Amino acid sequence: MRNLLRALALKLAQTFGARVVNSETGELLGKALIIPWRGKIHIIGLGSVVKPVFQPQKRLAYWKQEIVFIVPPKPDFPNERDSRKIDNR
Amino acid sequence: MSDVLNLILAHQSAPTVTKMIDYWSKCVPRDNILIAYGGNKSEFDAIDYAQKFFVDDARLRTSDHQREFQSYTGLLRATAAWIDNQSRRFDFVHFAEYDHLPLVNDLNPRQIASLTAERADLLGYSLARVDETNHPHFLYHSANPEFAAFWRRITCRADANVVLSIFGSGSFWTREAFCAVAAIDEPFPIYTELYLPTLAHHVGFRVRSFDEQQHPFVQAVGDATGKIDNARAQGAWTLHPVKQFWTN
Repeated sequence: MRNLLRALALKLAQTFGARVVNSETGELLGKALIIPWRGKIHIIGLGSVVKPVFQPQKRLAYWKQEIVFIVPPKPDFPNERDSRKIDNR
Repeated sequence: MSDVLNLILAHQSAPTVTKMIDYWSKCVPRDNILIAYGGNKSEFDAIDYAQKFFVDDARLRTSDHQREFQSYTGLLRATAAWIDNQSRRFDFVHFAEYDHLPLVNDLNPRQIASLTAERADLLGYSLARVDETNHPHFLYHSANPEFAAFWRRITCRADANVVLSIFGSGSFWTREAFCAVAAIDEPFPIYTELYLPTLAHHVGFRVRSFDEQQHPFVQAVGDATGKIDNARAQGAWTLHPVKQFWTN
């Protein structure tokens, strides 16, 4: 019963929730309910992996900031194998 | 020709495992298959195949894998020990769970070509950087202060905060990376899909993703048993999950 209710709530969130967009590309990442509650912002139903960041502002504004979502780039780190560091762990 | 060890994790009945080995033998050399068995001991003993070992590790035998921090470290360690005892040299290790089906008869050469092209030490599916994201496994682990402290302690990288996630099945390793990661003690339970790629990264290995074209064929949920021919026609090298395939 609990799982059924949760599935129903998720379906509603993913159908009628706010559009979540990758602010760098404009790609739609999904829909979710975004609810401020007790000092936190609750995100319900979002199926994508996103990173929330404050949006840079071209005009200085003290009264408003925006939190947007981005998708971290695919890992592309070089090989930095250094056996001395590993051995000294 | 470089030798690839195809490590298959299975827990099915002995006849089913024999069926798996016969099927896999059409795609990779039979002598390059190693069965890691996580079922019961009597079934393990009944498997008529020499290259096998029994995994008696509670950290592997989880039911709610993510919440119980399922670990493949014991499995890697046993495999590394097995490799060390062989007179043959394996240069690469391909790891697949029982429900991950190879679909092409030159699978290993394709994987080597991809690894070489990427100049990588580890290739996997669904590779993502997940630190500072809403990724549920990352958030679950980051509630433990020891999680970040461990990476800070062992890393050879400039940024100790990087956390990677990779799909559990289908990883393809250089032998050096596989054995180096296997040799490190898991400090406390960490879910394998975070632990292995993040550890490989922080000890200096290059972790990369398989070609994006292959990703639709390796999914976490569902059952693709009825889609094998279609996937092969679309260019899939492997297909996951195919849970019903072995019992049909």
